[in-house]
Amino acid sequence: MAEDFLSDAEIKRKQTKHRINVHSLQLAVAVALLGSWQILADKKILDPFFYGRPSGVMHQLGVWIQHGTSIGSIWVNAWVTLYEATYGFLAGVILGIIFGVFLARNPTAAEIFAPYIKVSNSIPRVVLGSIFVLWLGLGSISKVALAFVLVFFPVFFNAFQGTREADNKLIANARLLGASKRQVTTKIVFPSALSWITASMHVSFGFALIGAIVGEFLGAQRGLGLLIATAQGNFNPNGVYAAMLLIAIMALTAEWLITKLEDRLLKWRPTQVSGTEH
Amino acid sequence: MSKGVHVKFSNVSKRFRTPKGDWYQALKELNFEIQPGEFVALVGPTGCGKSTALTLLAGLEQSSIGEVSVDGTAVKDIDIRTGFVFQHDATFPWMSVANNVGAGPKFRGLDPKEYRPLVQKWIAKVGLVGFEKHYPHQLSGGMKKRVALAQALINEPQLLLMDEPFSALDVQTRSIMTDELMTLWETTGSTVLFVTHDLEEAIALADRVIVLTAGPAQVKADFKIELARPRKAREIRFTEEFLKIYQNIWEVLRDEVDIAYQRQLIAPSEK
Ligand SMILES: Nc1ncnc2c1ncn2[C@@H]1O[C@H](COP(=O)(O)OP(=O)(O)OP(=O)(O)O)[C@@H](O)[C@H]1O
Ligand SMILES: [Mg+2]
Repeated sequence: MAEDFLSDAEIKRKQTKHRINVHSLQLAVAVALLGSWQILADKKILDPFFYGRPSGVMHQLGVWIQHGTSIGSIWVNAWVTLYEATYGFLAGVILGIIFGVFLARNPTAAEIFAPYIKVSNSIPRVVLGSIFVLWLGLGSISKVALAFVLVFFPVFFNAFQGTREADNKLIANARLLGASKRQVTTKIVFPSALSWITASMHVSFGFALIGAIVGEFLGAQRGLGLLIATAQGNFNPNGVYAAMLLIAIMALTAEWLITKLEDRLLKWRPTQVSGTEH
Repeated sequence: MSKGVHVKFSNVSKRFRTPKGDWYQALKELNFEIQPGEFVALVGPTGCGKSTALTLLAGLEQSSIGEVSVDGTAVKDIDIRTGFVFQHDATFPWMSVANNVGAGPKFRGLDPKEYRPLVQKWIAKVGLVGFEKHYPHQLSGGMKKRVALAQALINEPQLLLMDEPFSALDVQTRSIMTDELMTLWETTGSTVLFVTHDLEEAIALADRVIVLTAGPAQVKADFKIELARPRKAREIRFTEEFLKIYQNIWEVLRDEVDIAYQRQLIAPSEK
């Protein structure tokens, strides 16, 4: 019988074709949605005074880029929000992993801290934003703090659960092979918790952005959150959308980076959606 | 050259909590000894408690009553002189074949320059050259089993516990691994406790074959295998002597297998 596997070039062509199909349909959806919004606004069915319109959003972005915003350069404001979210995210992820893995590996400590963790997790975290502004002032630190608390808990709980779910047989095997408690933690438990941890990182960057922006709503001198609050105060829906668009770009870029990182860290896993031969 | 350890089970009983909340007794007053350097095969019907006995000896679990001791000291925790080949896959999914095989020396803090050739040697012995960079999920069941064997044997354990180590292997690999195990055992002089369902394999390899009763496991019989060494595992099976031993042990084992089988038939209608 003839061996007629698909050649690499054919597989590649199939994949490219599939991707082009998906992307053109995605584009079609966007055009349809934005187009009908534009038409409805132009015909005054949707009042552009309240609802804005796509052309107005693009115009607003153009103005911000060329002339800056009422609170300074658009790039400076976007950058402020981005680094507040990023610092909060990194701190939350790192401390969440450390505490989660540590407590899961030390059941007595976990038992002692359990009620405190439950209580602090039950505090509506956005309320903390006001407290942080009071404590830490109008600068970036209060926003980083809010982003941090929003990121910390989901990462912590996932790291904790992932660690608890580590296969006892693998731990036993590692110990018989000579692993110390520390090596069991770093070489066995942490890798098996990694898929849980990266899963929580996907949602967490969104939380970090929420933390930064809500913090800016509550009191700030710069940032996209403040820009949104200002636009809202001026009845400028296009300004709100334009800032939202910038935030969405940040979130999508971060999501892409996290996915890359995940692929690297978890390359030992069986591929879920394999790129080859369907 | 490592020296084998002395093993003793004294009146060992072990019970487990069942999902329903009551107790299930897996071992009942289990008594046997293994001399340093002895190769003992443990046979018995499925579910009788063979794996349980190994986990107690490895220090992964504690006995409920009685004592398991190694060289006169009660086993209270895992001891790295012990090597364990698990019945079910226990390779590390995030480590390549080479890193899995080298895990023991690495954990023990050996110099990579020293143990890397050793890793390569073991990969060759288990026939996995060319697969060094593969992850376990990219291997077949038998290949994973061979990784597990190399992973345990590379540390030259003084006490080697093997739970059906060859069950997933094809006939050829099985006989190669059997010969490897024999050579290793003859050169290191380690004590081996080997669980198998294959009575021929047990007789061909072991100095003694211990037959356990249907659960809770007790020692039903203890056979000394007086076949001359070195043995050619592949040819010995056809000698008259071998067949006689086989007959004797099978007679005893068959009763227990029947009991276990009957129980399986009754069990569902009991509740
Ligand atoms: N952790 C546990 N909790 C509850 N019951 C257990 C546990 N481990 C083993 N058992 C029970 O103990 C009995 C003996 O199990 P064990 O794994 O030792 O059998 P085995 O002789 O190795 O069987 P096989 O040859 O099929 O591997 C079984 O009935 C099993 O259900
Ligand atoms: Mg078993």
